[in-house]
Amino acid sequence: MTEAETDTENVPQSKYTKDKKVGEGTYAVVYLGVQKHTKRKIAIKEIKTGLFKDGLDMSALREVKYLQELRHPNVIELVDVFGTSNNLNLVLEFLPCDLEVLIKSKDIMFLAADIKSWLLMTFRGLHHCHRMSILHRDLKPNNLLLAPDGQLKIADFGLARGLGNLNEDLSSNVVTRWYRAPELLFGAKHYTAAIDIWSVGIIFAELMLRIPYLPGKDDVDQLDVTFKALGTPTEQIWPNVSNLPLYNSLRVYPPPSRQELRNRFIAATDKALDLMISMTQLDPSRRCNTSQALLHEYFTELPSPTDPKNLPKNKPNEPTVESNGNTTKRRKVE
Amino acid sequence: MSLGGSETAKKPYVSIDDLYRKSTQFQMWSFTKSALEETKKKANENGTKVAKQRLLNEYNNLKESNRTLFEQYPQELNIDTIFDPLTFEEEQKYLHFYCEKIITTADFFNMATQVKATAMSFFKKFYLVNSVMEYHPKNILYTCLFLAAKLEYYFISIESYCKILPKTEPKDILDLEFIVLLSLKFTLLVYHPFRPLYGFFLDFQAVLLHPSPLMYDVNVDKLGHLYNQAKEWLNKYAIISYVGFMFTPPQIALAAMYDIDKRITNKYLQRKYLREQLDAIKEEQDEKKGQDEQKHQDEQKHQDEQKDEEVTDDNQSLESQQRTQYETIVRTIVKCIRIAKAETQTSLQESKDIDRKCFFTLNPAKMMNKKIKKLSSGTE
Ligand SMILES: Nc1ncnc2c1ncn2[C@@H]1O[C@H](COP(=O)(O)OP(=O)(O)O)[C@@H](O)[C@H]1O
Repeated sequence: MTEAETDTENVPQSKYTKDKKVGEGTYAVVYLGVQKHTKRKIAIKEIKTGLFKDGLDMSALREVKYLQELRHPNVIELVDVFGTSNNLNLVLEFLPCDLEVLIKSKDIMFLAADIKSWLLMTFRGLHHCHRMSILHRDLKPNNLLLAPDGQLKIADFGLARGLGNLNEDLSSNVVTRWYRAPELLFGAKHYTAAIDIWSVGIIFAELMLRIPYLPGKDDVDQLDVTFKALGTPTEQIWPNVSNLPLYNSLRVYPPPSRQELRNRFIAATDKALDLMISMTQLDPSRRCNTSQALLHEYFTELPSPTDPKNLPKNKPNEPTVESNGNTTKRRKVE
Repeated sequence: MSLGGSETAKKPYVSIDDLYRKSTQFQMWSFTKSALEETKKKANENGTKVAKQRLLNEYNNLKESNRTLFEQYPQELNIDTIFDPLTFEEEQKYLHFYCEKIITTADFFNMATQVKATAMSFFKKFYLVNSVMEYHPKNILYTCLFLAAKLEYYFISIESYCKILPKTEPKDILDLEFIVLLSLKFTLLVYHPFRPLYGFFLDFQAVLLHPSPLMYDVNVDKLGHLYNQAKEWLNKYAIISYVGFMFTPPQIALAAMYDIDKRITNKYLQRKYLREQLDAIKEEQDEKKGQDEQKHQDEQKHQDEQKDEEVTDDNQSLESQQRTQYETIVRTIVKCIRIAKAETQTSLQESKDIDRKCFFTLNPAKMMNKKIKKLSSGTE
């Protein structure tokens, strides 16, 4: 049995150093390291084995499955995969920060152009996923990682899935609660890429508000919070909504008026509001897709999106590769 | 198919084909017929070497402890007489037998087509890298199916899985899971022809029925029937054969349609590749002319004469280009059908013989001891 094993046993892991442990996720321990021959910084995600009595962890397998196919500047790069005595190791590009950390760093000011830049990169990455028929199903600020050069990368494909099959049931128990589209809240068994669009819409709002937009306390509360903010769906605006499994008599909230939304997002331009409204349509079939979003006038009107390398970064006192005086100064000023 | 947003500036159109060419399925697991054959042969040769070494270890041990017997029967106990590896053909037959077993096992568990097809792809890939003389196909089959179910969202727990499989412990499968993954080079996404087939079903309707039916006897029901039969065809021929390693999923889907109904599929292809593009060229020409008219009125006549010549030239070369393209597609499809249907039939007896042979190459000690026992009882 050893042929295959010895092949990879000695070679791949010696190509990387595993320097220090930086984090521990649900099914993996993450180490920082260096790819020896390029001196490139990498992260090694070592999948815990033996935790899952049914063999190799499913989320890890999905992550490998999709990241092997998705090569895009705005999707985290899977540099390599190797195994050591039944241990699965994913070598990922090193991404020192994520959007959640930035949103929470209240001393860092976001310009409208910064938000536009992050949103644009998110859509570029997501567009690539969707045209490959892959749904992410867990978009949230915490899964939008930031490279030292400012590029945003969609990460964590542990819940992703392909739209390979026709008419098969999908699990509605996906997406972290606050970013979960209404069709999922209603337990829809058939849904589309529109669930990811919704999540990005909520992230867009969060980037402007700097606090979570729809923070439901539990699944029931999530419905209430969502519809209080965006109106309760009716058969009129969303045909057949009442046939969804978990749909039942809800408190009826009116949809927000344009003025109400303007007040909610004071800094947003009309185009920005248009795009957000289009992403957060209750009826998934009315939500825009990634192509439409990318062509939206919000992205062409001024201000132009910030050049990624000039975007705000975390940890101003720890110099990163691209960091220059400019960015630090701006942060202090604003 | 879809626009690439701001990437449009560089490249206005990214086709499904462009994307497919980036997939690991295309980059790492697509072969010409001869390259595929070569890869399989190499796996068999390598397996033979491993099996020989395994036997040799056993042989030398036993020779040590049965010196007299080995001297007494130099013929019967000659290593070259004893060594009986699976030939290339036998190995292929054996694998085919197990491919059929994947289907029956998956059907037994009521697993979806997608799981079945992915497991089949995993299994074949595994044996492009390894040989049955290294890993017995039975547990590899079960492992591939288990892994495919996990990856295609039809998860079944290892306990309930093993409870139903004959004489199989969770450990038998879990120990192999990682080895299978390594052999697959961690490429786990498999594209199947079922989705493109559905796409063609829709496009056949668009092209052949709208705005008005092109063939007097073709309607939605007829196309629906064709679609269902083509789906069965994929299940029967495409999944089990190696066409997925030589053709793209849309090519295989078209092959299924073509083999079920050559007349309709041909009409579709002609319409799609000959007629449709001719229409497009005509529009382009008209446009060109329109622009020219606006420009230089004086020189127009002279220029137009020239242009007309050019256009007809272009037209002819384009027309023949399209014809070539159309013919290439038909040729590819026909080849795909031939390969899909050229399955090796293996009789049960044949499989049993190969099975015995395989068992002994994997367990040379058992075979040697049996032989020694027989020979030494014969001397008494
Ligand atoms: N590519 C990466 N580069 C740098 N650090 C990373 C990378 N991926 C993960 N990390 C770190 O490891 C931690 C755990 O990551 P992960 O296993 O994805 O778990 P989770 O998504 O549950 O946080 C993260 O919080 C982060 O600090």
